[in-house]
Amino acid sequence: MNQDSRVQAFVAAFEAVRAEVEKVIVGHHEVITHVVTGLFAGGHVLLEGVPGLGKTLLIKTLSEGLELSFSRIQFTPDLMPADIIGTNIIVEDADGRKHFQFQHGPIFAHILLADEINRATPKTQSALLEGMQEGAVTVGGASRPLPAPFFVLATQNPIEMEGTYPLPEAQLDRFLFKLRVRYPAIEELNAIIDRTTQSRTATVSRVLSGPAVLSFRELIREVPIASHVRDFASAIVMATHPQWEQAPDIARRFVRYGASPRGAQALVLGAKVRALAEGRYNVSTEDIKALAAPALRHRVILNFEGEAEGVDTDTLVARVVADTEAAVARGREPFLR
Amino acid sequence: MSESPGIEGLLRRIRREIRRRRAEYYGLRGAFWGALAGVVILLAKHAVGGAAPWTAAALVILGAAAGIAYGAARGVRRGDVARVADRAFGLDDRVATTLEWADRPDRTRLVDTLIADTVERVESLALKRVVKRVVPREGRILPLPVLACLVLAVTPPIPMPSGRLPDFLSSTEEEREERASSSMLEETTRPLAKDPLKRPSFEERDFAQRAGGSGATTTGDLSAIFKDTSLASQRPDFNSFMKKGDERLRMLEQVDRIPDLQSDFTNSQFKMVYRKSKALTGGLRPDQISPQKLRELLEEMERLGRKGGGNWSGDAMEGMEALEGGQSDRALEAMQKALDKMRAMDEAQRSGKGLRGGRENERGGRGKDRARGDGMGPEDQDFGEGEGLMPGRGRSGSPKGEATQRLRANPFDVGVEGESRRGRKDGYDTNLTGRGGSMASRLQYLGVIGQYRKAMEDAITREQVPRDFHDQIRNYFQSLDER
Repeated sequence: MNQDSRVQAFVAAFEAVRAEVEKVIVGHHEVITHVVTGLFAGGHVLLEGVPGLGKTLLIKTLSEGLELSFSRIQFTPDLMPADIIGTNIIVEDADGRKHFQFQHGPIFAHILLADEINRATPKTQSALLEGMQEGAVTVGGASRPLPAPFFVLATQNPIEMEGTYPLPEAQLDRFLFKLRVRYPAIEELNAIIDRTTQSRTATVSRVLSGPAVLSFRELIREVPIASHVRDFASAIVMATHPQWEQAPDIARRFVRYGASPRGAQALVLGAKVRALAEGRYNVSTEDIKALAAPALRHRVILNFEGEAEGVDTDTLVARVVADTEAAVARGREPFLR
Repeated sequence: MSESPGIEGLLRRIRREIRRRRAEYYGLRGAFWGALAGVVILLAKHAVGGAAPWTAAALVILGAAAGIAYGAARGVRRGDVARVADRAFGLDDRVATTLEWADRPDRTRLVDTLIADTVERVESLALKRVVKRVVPREGRILPLPVLACLVLAVTPPIPMPSGRLPDFLSSTEEEREERASSSMLEETTRPLAKDPLKRPSFEERDFAQRAGGSGATTTGDLSAIFKDTSLASQRPDFNSFMKKGDERLRMLEQVDRIPDLQSDFTNSQFKMVYRKSKALTGGLRPDQISPQKLRELLEEMERLGRKGGGNWSGDAMEGMEALEGGQSDRALEAMQKALDKMRAMDEAQRSGKGLRGGRENERGGRGKDRARGDGMGPEDQDFGEGEGLMPGRGRSGSPKGEATQRLRANPFDVGVEGESRRGRKDGYDTNLTGRGGSMASRLQYLGVIGQYRKAMEDAITREQVPRDFHDQIRNYFQSLDER
């Protein structure tokens, strides 16, 4: 299969997965696209939204559309790390000898739905850290690899603060994208009512296998990116740092900590998926701009002034992108703009 | 990659366009600066002569040509051209990525697909002008200097003032010479001229030419400066000018009458001299002090003594003599003596003058009248036993006798206890301490302040108080009134 066919296959697979999810989920086109982008980029996705917007349904539908194992953990305050990872239990063999045997936790699945992740204690939340970053977990001194592809989809509710534990920055940084699930428009709401209150239910087909996902992940990493596009991505990430000498005023005023290098990786990887999904063989600056908000919004930590003034990180990232683009344009001769 | 004619052709075309736009841009800038230089040349047309318009035109053309050459000669990088192409034709950075990745050793198989895709897209492009024209700021205001050049080129040269005053002396000498020569001629064969000869240098600056507003001016004519002003119709009166000038010059000769606006009038001369002496001698041995500066200071003290009627002039003179003899320590001693005397006089003036009242002045006046006859003032008089200024005694003209001259006659330190309350009040109850403490008094505050304010108004109009200090002084008295 030549490269062009592989790209066409990827485009078809991307569209197929999205179409399957959209059979069930009404609206949220951008959220679905970004979730599928995260799947192919090899990252994990955090969905944030008020209850009842279909976050969990979206993830469940995605898992149904893929030939991959799926497990769901409902995070609660009394959930323990062993409940996620698994534990060694004593078993007795046929000879009557007792020995430890590892009981796999729900993390050992291709797609893990961590529902309401911010309801568990930080100790339990951190049980996911190693698995998300390394693709393996260590129990009793033994490292156990997780199945590939391993894809964590977590949800959290932004308005309920009581009985919740906000995710620590280290945990947040491990999510490739943070997506905001917003309330549907009235047409979408009508469609939701029609679709969910009738006897006819949508059937989701399995359109993509695990090996295919892994193969496409390799293809995505081959997508070339021009140096000026890469520089633009780096400049955006650097511009979120208030200490950077060329940081825009908004970052200097409202940001305590900027995005980490993982933010730049997420930006470029996401841009590569987007480019390929559009049938393009290279990354453009438009891809970088489109992925800036989901890749950076959870990596920018506001300072006290930003929190007090209720600065929205999406707005902040959008301003940073616009300012960076303007700064790059200013550095060029008028004829080259 | 570089073999792809489609992409190369596109890049060549855009590079050419960029160069053309740059040439236009810098050409306009060059033309602007050339035109400005042309304006300068045309302003000095009378000096440059007839070549000025041609020089200005040449400068404009030269500036534009230099700008065009600079813009066209500047290089354009392939990467920049590729990015312009991507943006202009909506190629999503395909051309730039292709150019960059085509020759890289780590290129992936996907890059080949990218190249093929880019070539295909470029070849299907409908080419158009993509580089927009950028007009520089200088280009927008270029018509102004060009217009100025044109106007200046067609108008006559602007006369420049020569900056010389009329040479009256030379003209009178010339006149005299001419008269002499005419008298000589008269004596000889030629007949006497009916009209006296005109003075050409004076005639050029005559008022008649000023009065004619529309009249043509000639080179070096000072009247052109006053052409459109009210002075144009006035006849110059050089005699009064010279007379006033003389008076002012005479004033400048009298240095003592010119107020020193830089000096601090709140300081006494003694203080100033004292500070100078401290600055001169501070921390130094007599042999380390500059004799020149010491001499200057002694001279100043001696001058002050002479002018102010002080008795330290002799000490200052002694010091100067000692300094000439190389005896610095003696000079310093003499200076110290003079300073002591100055201090004593200053204190005496401050303790007496400020507290003298109206009646005392009258008495002082009478005393002076009397002293004119007797050769001494009331303070200097010696009274015999049973005589004096006390009531009912001696030579007092008043049946009650003269009032006791307490402070003036017997000066001693008096302190005032307590603190004034805030707000307006008509008097102060004072508790005097010290040797004068037995003399309890009540000062009619408002009355005294009123008298002093009147005296202040007289003083600042009569004396040479700098104008800037008038308000300051008035404010001070105003603040006293408000307490």
